[in-house]
Amino acid sequence: MSTSAALTLEQGMAHLASIVGQEHVRLHGDTIVASPADTQQIAEILRFADANRLAVMPIGSGSKQSWGNPVEPDVQLNMTRLDALHEHAWQDMTCTVQAGCSWAAMQAELAQHGQMVALDPLWPERATVGGIVASNDSGALRLKFGGLRDLIIGMTIVLADGTIAKTGGKVVKNVAGYDLHKLMTGSFGTLGVIAEVNFRLHPLEDHTRTWTAVAPDAAIFAAPLRALMDSQMTPSSVQLRTSKQACALDIRIAAQPECLDEYAARIQSIFGQIAIAESSEAVWQARQQLFDKNDAVVLKVSVLPSELCSISAELQQWAAAEALDIATVGQATGLMTVALHGAPDAEIALIERLRARLTDSGGSVVALQIPDSLRGRIDVWNCHSNALPLMREIKRRFDPNRILNPGRFVGNI
Amino acid sequence: MLTPSHITELRAAVGAEGLITEQSQLQTYECDGLTNFRVLPGAVVLPCNAQQVQAVVRFCARHKVPFVSRGAGTGLSGGALPAAGGIVISLARMNRILEVDIANRLVVVEPGVINAHVTQRVASQGYFYAPDPSSQSVCTIGGNVAENSGGAHCLKYGFTVTHVLALEVVLPSGELVQLGSPTLDAPGYDLPGVFVGSEGTLGVATKITLRIVKRPEVVQTLLAAFDSIQAAGQTVSDIIAARMLPSALEIMDALSIQAAEAAVHAHYPVCNGLLLVELDGPRSEVEALMREVQALCRNNGAWEVRVAQSEQERALVWKGRKAAFAAVGRISPNYIVQDGVIPRTALPRLLSEIDRMASAEGLRVANVFHAGDGNLHPLVLYDRAILGQEEKALDLSYRILHLCVDNGGSITGEHGVGKEKQEALGYMFSEPDLATMQLVRCAFDPESIANPDKVFPRPRLCAEKPGPYTPHPLETAGIAEIF
Ligand SMILES: Cc1cc2nc3c(=O)[nH]c(=O)nc-3n(C[C@H](O)[C@H](O)[C@H](O)COP(=O)(O)OP(=O)(O)OC[C@H]3O[C@@H](n4cnc5c(N)ncnc54)[C@H](O)[C@@H]3O)c2cc1C
Repeated sequence: MSTSAALTLEQGMAHLASIVGQEHVRLHGDTIVASPADTQQIAEILRFADANRLAVMPIGSGSKQSWGNPVEPDVQLNMTRLDALHEHAWQDMTCTVQAGCSWAAMQAELAQHGQMVALDPLWPERATVGGIVASNDSGALRLKFGGLRDLIIGMTIVLADGTIAKTGGKVVKNVAGYDLHKLMTGSFGTLGVIAEVNFRLHPLEDHTRTWTAVAPDAAIFAAPLRALMDSQMTPSSVQLRTSKQACALDIRIAAQPECLDEYAARIQSIFGQIAIAESSEAVWQARQQLFDKNDAVVLKVSVLPSELCSISAELQQWAAAEALDIATVGQATGLMTVALHGAPDAEIALIERLRARLTDSGGSVVALQIPDSLRGRIDVWNCHSNALPLMREIKRRFDPNRILNPGRFVGNI
Repeated sequence: MLTPSHITELRAAVGAEGLITEQSQLQTYECDGLTNFRVLPGAVVLPCNAQQVQAVVRFCARHKVPFVSRGAGTGLSGGALPAAGGIVISLARMNRILEVDIANRLVVVEPGVINAHVTQRVASQGYFYAPDPSSQSVCTIGGNVAENSGGAHCLKYGFTVTHVLALEVVLPSGELVQLGSPTLDAPGYDLPGVFVGSEGTLGVATKITLRIVKRPEVVQTLLAAFDSIQAAGQTVSDIIAARMLPSALEIMDALSIQAAEAAVHAHYPVCNGLLLVELDGPRSEVEALMREVQALCRNNGAWEVRVAQSEQERALVWKGRKAAFAAVGRISPNYIVQDGVIPRTALPRLLSEIDRMASAEGLRVANVFHAGDGNLHPLVLYDRAILGQEEKALDLSYRILHLCVDNGGSITGEHGVGKEKQEALGYMFSEPDLATMQLVRCAFDPESIANPDKVFPRPRLCAEKPGPYTPHPLETAGIAEIF
């Protein structure tokens, strides 16, 4: 227990056990791990933590635990017992799911009625709904279906003082009151604990095909990519992969089976001389693979869609000059994942150069995964928004005692 | 009350040509589209840039004078209703389209830009701005942002919030901040996400970065006539179950068909449930799916199924649908418009219940709905000349909202809470829910000077009732229809 002098570990353990039951409390180093069974128990834990000024880290499977600034919590609020899909109103195309449910488990149940939450986050087998929402993760499907802010229609949240609040609802169209669920999405557990999420659903994409074009240099793809995005085809995903060896552009289209050949022909004509061929679904794993190397730096980079090819090409050149290993996977939406591996100083130099490069267009570079050698040497968020004071004020109102993931988010919120 | 020295300060902020204090001129601003609420403001300012907005808001902050932003005043829930003696900030003069960036599919506008003008600007390059409230030829992007407006095609394309990337906002303190970024996922809280739909209570939007969308290759519209609303509703469920996402799915009942026919002669089949389905996308795709939709309609007993064969035919189909509201004026002397949402599957049950409630009061309710997303616009018909009928109609329309909430829905799908539904918001959300929303409010506007006394229920006040509907001057002039 770091923040509270008044309370011993034993007392803390005993009290939390009285809330969630002995078997659902354990000690991990100096941190008490408590696993609540329901929203009410989350509220009780938070009320206790707030009264005693204990730092709380809500956690799902822990797959993205290291993202953001490090936090040393007194209490880890393990959400994995809240893992039920409470409601799948398939005819209304909505569902209500508890935050501790794994993404894949949720999708498997929804698939029984041919539906899905149209998002492909990292590590779906492990990652929980709450963690994905709190970190605003998204994958290649974002191009067609939008991000979590477009898919979440309501939430149940628990505030630091134990208040249980609902926001939004179970219907897709709804403009009653403030959309607090938008504020919670991507807030990294700093404003409240997400207990339950209501999603709007989409039909599964039954018939899809993926094509891949290859070229020696990312810049070559600029013109065809622009033509593709300007065409009246509506691909579900388009991603640009670059590494030292080669560049590839992947396109996935979902359509009626009888229409897919026509799309193939259209795509072929857009790419002209550039080699393009049908490929496998496996290419869509590329983003996740960038996280495989534990000691790599992995960045979330956001650029204007029109800059995707040029920035990817520049990154390859810069990395070559600094003798860094680099691999990038960028979506046509402008969201890129970049993995770097090399000397720490060179990594830092490249991150700084990229940040400077993106200042004018409003782009951003967030370091999601960094090796210990870089901890403390770079600002992982680099948020220069003039709305930062407003964000701090929102934090202050929601969590005046700063018990929820203190320091983890932008500006040390 | 504004003093002469206040007026001098305001004049310094926006210039003499940007200030209105004449009683007769102020009256233009005393209400929005919900015309039965009227309040005279102390002054109206018409700033022409963000700095002038800042100067006005700083004045308000300094003297704790409330301000209300105003776009075109077409809101239907009293959102732009002035605060008594306060300032109305009209964004009408800030109407420039600042930037068009086709490569990045975005457009940057000032808040007073009219919705339809965005599409007009990018149409020649094959793009459009997707949110299409039927007031789009007059309402402003600033108003759309504040209300998170929807339109006929939001089933597929989403609401205003889906299409707003970034905002420049003057906070109630007078500070100017950038919320979001033209690139996705700017680090920090999703402030554009909360600002959109906050009904003018968190500040004044002075610049908006919008997403634009490529025009689909083809659009096809189908009309199907059924013997019952239930059969039309079942067809909607079947279309959804067949894994299609049409761009629009609309249902009209016998009363509204009758009204629309009387008004615009859309050549609708006379039936109890009319279904309108619109599909868009690549040609081969749309043609294949349209065949499937036709089959589903027939399976559910549709006795007439028509696909519009020309752009004119398609326009006529929509004209009838969009005219339904105003047209109700032809079959009833007075009516009240409501805007509730229910889970789509609750539709048959809810309609029978509304029928039952209406007959118990000796009233009629016409129903038009965005069936795809369960947004219904019940029109309660009545005659003010009959003693006591207006009160009954008001009460009924209010109970219909409660019924929506009881069925897992919402009190508003697109018109907002504003002044009209404050009390109903308290029916939909519990005290802790509302208190949590207030935390956001207080972070943005600790003094409660931005559009005060709106949205949130006021304690100690008796239940408000929605007012009778008076056609908006735009409707009477034939410029726009409620939809
Ligand atoms: C005939 C008719 C048909 C309609 N059809 C639809 C429809 O299909 N779908 C739909 O969603 N709505 C519809 N509406 C409602 C209305 O048109 C929308 O709510 C619209 O978005 C309001 O825009 P406005 O410019 O008129 O805003 P106003 O009515 O002037 O203001 C609306 C709200 O926005 C706030 N506001 C305005 N500008 C700003 C700004 N710059 N910054 C912050 N706050 C601001 C105001 O304070 C107020 O709370 C219809 C209305 C009419 C009269």
